[in-house]
This record gives sequence, structure tokens and C-alpha cells, in this order.
Amino acid sequence: MKSLLKIFLGILTAIGGFVDIGDLVANAVIGARFGLALAWVVVLGVIGICLYADMSGRVAAVSGRGTFDLVRERLGPRMGLANLLASTFVTFLTLAAEIGGVALALELATSVSYLLFVPLVAFGVWIVVWRMPFERMEQAFGILGLCLLAFAVALWQLGPDWSQLLHQAVHPSVPDGEGHPTYVFYAISLFGAAMTPYEVFFFSSGAVEEGWSRKDLRTERLNVYIGFPLGGLLSLAIAGCAAVVLLPQGISVDHLDQVALPVVLSLGKVGFAFLIVGFVAATFGASLETALSTGYSIAQYLGWQWGKRTAPREAARFHAVVLVAIILGAMLILTTLDPVKVTEYSLVFSAVALPLTYFPILVVANDRDYMGESVNGRVVNALGTFYLVLLTVVAIVAVPLMIATKAGQ
Amino acid sequence: MAGRVRDLALHLLDRQVLDTDGRAVGNVDDVELHVPEDGSPPYVVAILTGPQALGPRLGGLLGQWLVFLSNALARNQDEEPGRIGWELVTDLGSAVTVAKSRVELGVHANEDRAREYLVDRIPGARDAGS
Amino acid sequence: MRGADLLGLPVVGPGGEELGRVLDVRLVQDGPLLGAFATLRIEGFVVGHHRVASRLGYDRVDAQGPKPVWWAVRALARRNRYLRWEDASVTAGGVTSSRADLEPVPAIR
Repeated sequence: MKSLLKIFLGILTAIGGFVDIGDLVANAVIGARFGLALAWVVVLGVIGICLYADMSGRVAAVSGRGTFDLVRERLGPRMGLANLLASTFVTFLTLAAEIGGVALALELATSVSYLLFVPLVAFGVWIVVWRMPFERMEQAFGILGLCLLAFAVALWQLGPDWSQLLHQAVHPSVPDGEGHPTYVFYAISLFGAAMTPYEVFFFSSGAVEEGWSRKDLRTERLNVYIGFPLGGLLSLAIAGCAAVVLLPQGISVDHLDQVALPVVLSLGKVGFAFLIVGFVAATFGASLETALSTGYSIAQYLGWQWGKRTAPREAARFHAVVLVAIILGAMLILTTLDPVKVTEYSLVFSAVALPLTYFPILVVANDRDYMGESVNGRVVNALGTFYLVLLTVVAIVAVPLMIATKAGQ
Repeated sequence: MAGRVRDLALHLLDRQVLDTDGRAVGNVDDVELHVPEDGSPPYVVAILTGPQALGPRLGGLLGQWLVFLSNALARNQDEEPGRIGWELVTDLGSAVTVAKSRVELGVHANEDRAREYLVDRIPGARDAGS
Repeated sequence: MRGADLLGLPVVGPGGEELGRVLDVRLVQDGPLLGAFATLRIEGFVVGHHRVASRLGYDRVDAQGPKPVWWAVRALARRNRYLRWEDASVTAGGVTSSRADLEPVPAIR
């Protein structure tokens, strides 16, 4: 019974923790412009992240080591460094976006300028990293994040034409007035949101933090293969709400207000309250994860003692890096750069960094030295290789498309 | 044990070095070889760890920059790389285990600095996280 | 001398012909006893042209997936050769082999 509860809790945490500011913005923006015509990208992205999260979780459980540890060992310091620089840059940008996201959610709730919240949020993120035990931290913010189910409830309440929505999703086509390049550009952003690099680092390092071993593999797989797809469904609900309410009115999403609008319209103040809790929990949780991920990747590459499982003074450089990352991220948002814009850029750069960050995982997951008999099976390898090719194509095309479409104007 | 084959780049370099408590000391960033005068093959006498050891391996501008950055934090130029004598090695598996604890090894100028100037000044630095 | 200084050194044959670069250094644990362990003594050099292939180690260990990567790497590593210490003369600038033709790289395990 106890293990069943643990599994249940794990799945809930995975669902609630799946959505971050990138998913919120991307799905809302795209729903308001393309309806559900890009739903297939979410499906594609969820399958990809499930595949690679499972791989990196398995690696961590079997070898007891985090991804970056093994990347440098397997591929050498130069390739490891390229990997590190790419992912740390993107993860840092994502961290800034998430901090901005928390501040925006608080602004939405209180009508006080988000800039005033930023230092508070930064301090909050740091103190939770410093003091709160890892597993509790993950569970708390993951389960609170489930409040975002308000989107699913709202979509239901709005009573949309389900057959029309389904038709849009199953027959993806570029709507009138939108060009093909813009469509592909947004597809790439959505893909980047679903497969953001920090997710795998955090998942694998988190597995080491929680002391997973072989016997936890079944729980790990259930968390990934049930939790993540349900999280993906939640993303689609966000897009669906935008498609049903914003698209017909031609309202575009530039701010968190518009993202919340469908829920407010259909569920009123109660729905709005749940939404705020969900926004804050999801973005705050993601701030924690990206801050820790920045520390994890640098510490693991350089061989430092890392993690929350030892006292901070035993992992001094790790905690110093996390602190600096939070401060710099907050400072970036305080330059009054629009956090929504920062989010959109972080997604494009995520897409560019993807092949570089995912290739080593595929290699390490195949290494018998670390994995023994738990190496990838043929199906996983075939799918993994297919995704790697896809990610490479996406990475090459992302920046030129961004320039050509002026970031989707 | 004797006669075991270990390729330098494949099996030794970039491996994790662990101390007696199982804590991370650093990576095998390089090794020090002793060259015998009689022309017989050189052999490994020490593990080198730290940015001063890693920098030259990365090569070029990046490597020099890494060394410079670490020295700048050290506030003294030409710092020697952290050195762990081979006689301290107790195990050579997928990681290298050594006999002393990290503190005793004293290869961690930067970690000690981070601890002393930053982390120890914040309350709660001694409590384990989870 | 630092171990990493050896990696990447150009290797030439007795007539000056280019044989490749030092991709890896084979060490055997039968050197002098230091502490509890015999140290690692240089036995020879893995010489070839493609560093990436050697770095992944696919040329010297059992087959591992993913298959396309393994095939590609094996193809690149096919021409790797092994140079024994006795046949080599090492200077700061490079390694000279006293033999023009070298043996294939002995597999490990």
C-alpha cells in the first residue's frame, strides 16, 4: 500500500511539475494563433522527453552518477565543455524566465508591478534551495502545480465543439493569414518547450539526490510514462483554452493576463485563484529546478562535490554557483526585459542546444561499463536515434527561421 | 590486480576521484609520469586535479582562460595543480578511490575559499539538505 | 611529464612517413609498487587519425549501441594501429617509430 502511495505521489508530482513558464507561454501563444493545429508537436515532444528522461533516470539509478559526470568521462573534456556551455547558457536563460514568470504571476494576483517581486522571488528560490529537503521540495511544488488543472476544467466548462477541436488537431494545417515559415518556427518553439535541456539533467541528478537504485526503476518508469504524458495533456488544455476563447476574438498573447482569460471567463474568481496558485507553483518549482540544474551541470563537469544531500559546507562551490546563478537571473529580469520575450528566446535557444545535450545521453545509456545489462534495448535505441536526427534538423533550422520570421511576428 | 590494462584517455582521464568518505575530490584532470633515466617505460606517479591541470588539456584560448580565472580567484599566479600521489590510491574501478579525506588531501583551494568566504557565513551551512 | 602531453603528438615512421597521432596511451598495471598498488606503466601507444572514434572507446570494447554510431566509429577507427614502447622514441615534438608497419590495436577484455 505504501509503495502504491509513493507511486501515486510520484506521478502527481510529475504531472504538476511538467508545465513551466515555457509551456505556459508557448501553448497559449500558439493556441491563440493556430488553434490546435500544432498539437502534434506537443505529442512528438512528450514522446521525446519521456524517452530521454527515462534513459537518463535509468543511467542515474544504475550507475549512481548524474548525466554530466558521465558525459565528460565518456566523450572527453572538450565535447563535455561544449555540451556544458550550451546547456548552462540555455538553462540560465530559462532560470531568468522562470523567475520572471513567478513575478508575473504575483503581479497578476496583486496588480503590483512584477519588478518589485523579483528580488523577493530570487530570495525565496535561494532559501528553498538552501534549506528545504529535496524530495519534499519536489512533491510540494509538483502537487501545488496541479492547480493548473483549472485549464482542463475551464476547457470542459467552455463547452467547445469537441469534434472541431479534434479535427484541428488531427488535420494540422496552416491557417489563413499565417505563413508556413511562421508555422514551423512556432512548431520549433513548442518542441523546445517540451524538451528543454534542464529537464533531463534535473531528472537524472534528482535521481542521484534521492538515492535511486535498480529497485526504483519501475517507479521511475511509471512516473515518466504516465506522469509526463498527462502533463502533456495539460499543456494541450492550455492551448485548447486559448484556441476556444482567444483565437475567435483575434486576441494575441503578450502577457499572462491573456493566458488566464479563458479560465477567468468560465470559472470566475475561484478558477482564477486556483490558476494563480498553479502559476506560482509551476514557475517557482521550475526556478528551483533550473537553479539547481545550473549548479549540477557545472559541478558535475568539474568534479566538485554537488547536491543537496550533503551539508552546504561540504559542497561549497556548488552552492556558490547556484546562488550566483539566481542573482544573475534576477538581475536579467530587473533590466525590464519582457519576461515573456525572454521565455520565447529561451525556447529557441533550447531547440538549438538540444542535439548537443541529448546525444551524450544516448551514448552513455548504451555503455555496458556503467549500465551492465540495463543498456538501451533496440527499440529505445531506434527511437532515440530517430529523435537525435530530428533534433539536429530542428537545431540547424531554428535560428535562421527566427531571423526570417522575425521571431514569429 | 597486476597486469591489468588501463588506457590513459579511455579509462583514467576524466574519471571521478573519491575520498575515503565517498565524497567527490575532483576529476583525474591529468596524470604525472615519472620518466626513468634508463629508458624503461615511464610510469604514473600522481594524479593531477584542478583547473591548472585541466586548462592545458582543453588547449588554446579556452584552456588559458580557465587557468587564468582560477589563478585570479587564488590571487596568486602560477598555482600548481592539485596533486594526489599514487601511493594514496586504494581502488581503480570506474572511479578512483584514494585513502585520505578531501580535507587532508588539500587539493581544493577554490572549494576551501568558497566555503570560508561565502557558505560558512550563511546560517544553516552545516545542516544536511535532505 | 604530464600524461596529457603525450596525447595528440604526431607519430612518424622511420622514413619520416606520417602514421597519425597518438590517440591514447596503453598503460599496464605492473610498474613499481607505490603504496598498495603497482603503478601504471606505459606499454605502448594507440596511433590513428580520428580522435572522436578513439575517445568513445568503441574500437576497443565489445559492440555497443546505438548501431549507426558504432558502425560509423568502427569505420573511422579501422585504421588505428598500436606502437609498442620499445619501438618508439618520444620527444616533446612527436613520436618516431622504428617500424614502418604497426600491428592492429590489441583488444581489451
